[in-house]
Amino acid sequence: MSEFKHSTLRRLLLRVTAFAAPALLVAGFAGEAAAQKQLTVWHAYRGGEKAAFEKAVNAFNEANKAAGISAKTLAVPYDAYADKISAAVPRGTGPDVFIFAQDRLGGWIEAGNIVEPVDFYIDDQVKGRFLPNMMEAVTYRNTAYGLPFNFKSIAMIYNKKAVASPPKTTKELVEWAKKNTDSGSGKYGLGYVYGDFFYHAAVMNAFGGGVFKQEGAAALPTATVNQPANIKSVDLVMKWYKDDKILPAEPSTALITSLFNEGKTNIVFSGPWFLGEVDKSIEVGVTNLPTVDEAGGAPMKPWMTIEGLYISAQSKNKEAAYDLIKYLTSDEAAKVMAVEGRQLPSNKSAFAIPEIANDPVMSGFRKQADTAVPMPNYAVMTLMWSPVTTAMNKIVKGTSAPQAAFDEAQKSLTTDIDALRKTR
Amino acid sequence: MTSVVTTPAGIAGTKASSGEGVKDRSGHWLLHIVLIVFTFLSCYPILWVLSLAFSGQQSLSIASIPADAGFLDRLRAITPWPATFSLQNFTDVLTEQPFAIWLMNSAIVAGLTTIVGVFLACTAAYAFSRFRFPGRQSGMLMFLISQMFPGTLMMIPLYIIVVSWLGLGNSYFGLVLVYAVTAIPFCVWMMKGYFDTIPIEIEESAIMDGASRSTIFFRIVLPLAKPAVAVTALFSFMTGWNEFILASVFMSEESRYTAPVGLKFFVGGFSAQWGYFAAGSIIVSVPVVILFLYLQKYLVSGLTAGGVKG
Amino acid sequence: MRTTRFPGLDAGLGLLFGLILFFGMSLWFVSLENQNARREAEVRKTTVAAMSLAETVAALETVGAPPEALAPAIEKWREGDALVRDVRLVRQQGAQLVYSSVAADAAKGALPRRLVREEKPLFDLTGQLRGNVESNRAEGYRLPEAPVEGVRDDLLRVTVPIFVGDAYWGIAQVERERSTPAAGGDYGRAGLMLAVAVGVFFALAFVLRAVPLGLPDRWVHLAAVGVLLAVVAVLFGRYELQQLASYEKARASEVAATYQGFSASSQAAAAQVGATVPSTVPLDVDQFRRPLGQIGPDGQLNVPKLDESVSDNVGAIRDQLWWTGLLAAGLAALFALGQMRRLAETVREHRSAYSYVLPAIVGMLLLVFFPFTYGVMLSFTDRTLLNQGVPLTELWVGLDNYVKILGHFDVIRWTADGWSVNYESFYWTLFITICWTVSNVAIGVTLGLMLALALNTENLRGRAIYRVLLILPWAIPNYITALIWKGMFHQQFGVINQAIVMFGGEPVQWFDDVFTSFITGLATNAWLSFPFMMVVSLGALQSIPTDMYEAAKLDGATRWQQFWSITLPLLKPALIPAIILSVVWTFNMFNVIYLVSGGEPAGANEILITKAYKLAFERYQYAYAAAYSFVIFLILLAYGVFQNKVSKATEQVR
Repeated sequence: MSEFKHSTLRRLLLRVTAFAAPALLVAGFAGEAAAQKQLTVWHAYRGGEKAAFEKAVNAFNEANKAAGISAKTLAVPYDAYADKISAAVPRGTGPDVFIFAQDRLGGWIEAGNIVEPVDFYIDDQVKGRFLPNMMEAVTYRNTAYGLPFNFKSIAMIYNKKAVASPPKTTKELVEWAKKNTDSGSGKYGLGYVYGDFFYHAAVMNAFGGGVFKQEGAAALPTATVNQPANIKSVDLVMKWYKDDKILPAEPSTALITSLFNEGKTNIVFSGPWFLGEVDKSIEVGVTNLPTVDEAGGAPMKPWMTIEGLYISAQSKNKEAAYDLIKYLTSDEAAKVMAVEGRQLPSNKSAFAIPEIANDPVMSGFRKQADTAVPMPNYAVMTLMWSPVTTAMNKIVKGTSAPQAAFDEAQKSLTTDIDALRKTR
Repeated sequence: MTSVVTTPAGIAGTKASSGEGVKDRSGHWLLHIVLIVFTFLSCYPILWVLSLAFSGQQSLSIASIPADAGFLDRLRAITPWPATFSLQNFTDVLTEQPFAIWLMNSAIVAGLTTIVGVFLACTAAYAFSRFRFPGRQSGMLMFLISQMFPGTLMMIPLYIIVVSWLGLGNSYFGLVLVYAVTAIPFCVWMMKGYFDTIPIEIEESAIMDGASRSTIFFRIVLPLAKPAVAVTALFSFMTGWNEFILASVFMSEESRYTAPVGLKFFVGGFSAQWGYFAAGSIIVSVPVVILFLYLQKYLVSGLTAGGVKG
Repeated sequence: MRTTRFPGLDAGLGLLFGLILFFGMSLWFVSLENQNARREAEVRKTTVAAMSLAETVAALETVGAPPEALAPAIEKWREGDALVRDVRLVRQQGAQLVYSSVAADAAKGALPRRLVREEKPLFDLTGQLRGNVESNRAEGYRLPEAPVEGVRDDLLRVTVPIFVGDAYWGIAQVERERSTPAAGGDYGRAGLMLAVAVGVFFALAFVLRAVPLGLPDRWVHLAAVGVLLAVVAVLFGRYELQQLASYEKARASEVAATYQGFSASSQAAAAQVGATVPSTVPLDVDQFRRPLGQIGPDGQLNVPKLDESVSDNVGAIRDQLWWTGLLAAGLAALFALGQMRRLAETVREHRSAYSYVLPAIVGMLLLVFFPFTYGVMLSFTDRTLLNQGVPLTELWVGLDNYVKILGHFDVIRWTADGWSVNYESFYWTLFITICWTVSNVAIGVTLGLMLALALNTENLRGRAIYRVLLILPWAIPNYITALIWKGMFHQQFGVINQAIVMFGGEPVQWFDDVFTSFITGLATNAWLSFPFMMVVSLGALQSIPTDMYEAAKLDGATRWQQFWSITLPLLKPALIPAIILSVVWTFNMFNVIYLVSGGEPAGANEILITKAYKLAFERYQYAYAAAYSFVIFLILLAYGVFQNKVSKATEQVR
């Protein structure tokens, strides 16, 4: 019996080592192969975007074979991405180049040792290739820390069959929406996640509001959550919800998706991510968010999230890394990313390609980019979400008046910023 | 006596004749009702996962109800059955990414975690149960304490130890080490509790027969503790099987990712492919269910009166 | 055995190891401090050089000196100190390398010229220093304005910003050789003292054997060891501290000499173009360009200030030496009282037990207790996102974080229209966390045990099927099932409200109310956790010998009595650890709260761990979050100790 046991154990061990050994060997050799100028790029793409991105990187590798530079990609799940950067980069085990939206940029720069400034490399020719506003997203305290890769913002998405001519102003929108609302049968004229501050920012910016104000050279901006413009913007949305009754209660992205797919709501404010969930049978149009009559006809200015290409401060090959990010924002790479990856490149030349220019969705979002503003990249952006979300929830559920809710958010945000500020 | 305890097969053999005796089967109907209700409750959310996975759709299904919903409409709305039936999500998940390789990585990592975890836990638990030595109480407490410090904030120190100091980044062993250490405290406590219930007389008589400590441990105690070993094995396996954040942070090649890391690609960020995620979750859960099926027989082959008394 | 041993061997060993510990540690401390003093002096000299160069350039620029006047002026300035090596001036406007004494720089193009690609670090530094100065002005000293780099072991590089008037001009970078040799450790002296002390002790012990004092040997030995240790330690410590003080003073005079040299040479350099360098600008500054104050504007040492700083430094070392002495005395006492011998014997005696336990303990120490210690240290500082570059020792705030957490008594707020609960308060969150843990574990254990008992029934049909279906909630990754549950609680479309309406009820707004929102998390977590308890109970039920029931039945016990008097007591050994651990896990159950209720409404249903997470990763208050975690740990520890006591009382003695 004991013999039997031992032999099973041995076989098990053999099997385990047979699996594990090749993996260990590969790990050993991977380190040695890095003698050449081997760059690593981290991204969070999958599916078509990933394939397009890998194609663009391979094109870079082809072109730089002679120089001995090559880059390899590593996809990292979004939920682990920021953790992986914060853990690996300061310890010198991170990538040479990584891609991330600008909202974390300020935090990484203030933490130090993560993102390399690239001002010195950037020339006018490179600067000139981007849509307006794009460089702003990767610029922190007057220094550029990367190149913008692509952008996303919300816009007005509508069902072409149901909406003949999309409304251009809030007045037209409300009129149209009232006609198409029947709360008894669950039909709403307009759908968007108005309780989510990211979506609400479009209306807030139309009123000239904002959450932060930068004062002088201070590292941290001052909170301005309860400024009058913000209150006015919320008042307007609450009028739509409570008086005009054109918005559904308890909005969530899943709810908006199902309303749109069932044809119960035909105008929604959402971004490119929404389109993947739309029923294939629906013909979708994308156009600019309306202008706000209540704000003197100013256009809604949604927040853009712009993914930047950053060079790690710990990279051993920063110049080669810059060559790579320069290539990835070139006309050539932008074309691949737009046509095959269905991204919205920050390089403006992509939108001149006939395939893209004639694509109603891509050109619709491109047009919206003219009035959209990059989401601020302050280090304290992550502090903002929790208090403003609480405030929005209270307002939407009617448990608190806008002014009181925003006053409270202002107080809590200021406390949190001061907690960072007082430290040495 | 010794002849009985040294042949666990004999113990199992006495099982059939013992037990609560043959019962009238009709007396179990109440039990069946309770079990059916709970089984339904435990399966209902999972049926939604299945319905989502087989729907071919991607949006996290929220029941859709028509305008003036009647009883039947609502009943349809709460029935987890996809409107259309499609295997598309499964084929996409398996073909779009190297999911098979990731599953194998998971199997290696979770398998090694189970072996390492259960082995270390068994030996430690045996010592805690059978030896009296200074530091026993504090040692036990230490295992417990190790679970008390919130893990969410330990990522960076763990990264420093495993990747920077031990150089185990991008290797299965780094993950196995962390998972095993995570699983050991529960396993030790569980095993120790079980060992405590095994009468010490069995070992004492074996010692009198001249058996060494390790013989006793491997040949007598472990076979008797099969149910506890099965529970701890399942637990260790699950620890390594479902973890994703450390696996994605420690590994620096896509071919080295584990299945939960692969699953996470479908959600997070702006868009989420819930259909793919559901299909992937089901694929990932199948091995656990199979493992449980396999371990079941150990859960029901425990001590009997005959085995203990000799 | 005791009689055959040489008299006082234990105590003698104690003295030996105690002294080795003391000498080793104190020599190490002193040599560290020596190195520090030396490095600091070198840094200061190099900083003085860089600052005086910056002032010289500023003076030249103020009078609008022609570019070609720069090189001769710098040559003149160099006369202040023979150890200055390479010098670079970079002007931010146009990214100009204005001056460089490095031959390789000149080879890349005639100066002044635009910086080339490889010189990017210079460019970045130019921008960075400007940002640092402006930011420090706006919010206090945080970022270095005169950063120091060790280029090689023998070469330091300091970069300082140049301001012409109030306008930023660029940077001055100076490399300077390190000069002063390190002071050697007094190993010879230490060795000698050690030998003498141990010799004296054994001589005493020998004498004592011949001439008994009438006291127990052991205590006499102990006293002798104590006295010898104290005498040696005090003598040696005093000597070392004196050496240290004079060493530090010598270094300070060197800095003053360098200061005077550069004051004169920069004045002479400026005079070449008819400019003057204002002598009021202090050159001896720290890395934030704050004057250190030890050297006056005339380059003379400010003796009281210097003495104060030296005695501060020496005092710190003296404290360390005291602690080391106490430690050494403790060690010696342990030996002298025979404790160490007993420890060694214990380890030898129980070596098989220890070898069984060791592998698991080592893993635990490495992967749990190191991060734990780090976390505890962090909790005594005020580390946040913004001061990650600063060493922890400089951020020490003691118990401030704990006082802030535990002093958060503001649980209930009185307003004009009644009272409201402050959900941010620690005590509210603690209350919710305890409710959460107790209700979850109670439900989990009850359900798990009940189902396990049901499944353990002999001859039950479909047992295997039930068992597999009932563990499914554990098998499916909880990330997705938690979100399905969240969807099921949706107010308008969730199946739970649909079912309520179906049977004629009113839909519930689950996430709007503290209680109902709590229920959503509870339902989800109970669903996720009962299979675990069920499996554990199933395994444990197998440890109950079936003949016990037979016997009970013969005694006429009812099923209920059997459960209370046989099943439950015998399940205890396996069930109690599972309960303790599931209390600990539920207390720290992050995922379910985060994914299902998200702490709604308004953070009322946050538990301690989700709050700590938010503090660290959303609000960047790392130290505060670490303190929060440590408080969580202490609460659980208190629970663990309490539970352990209780269960130990019921543990069967064997």
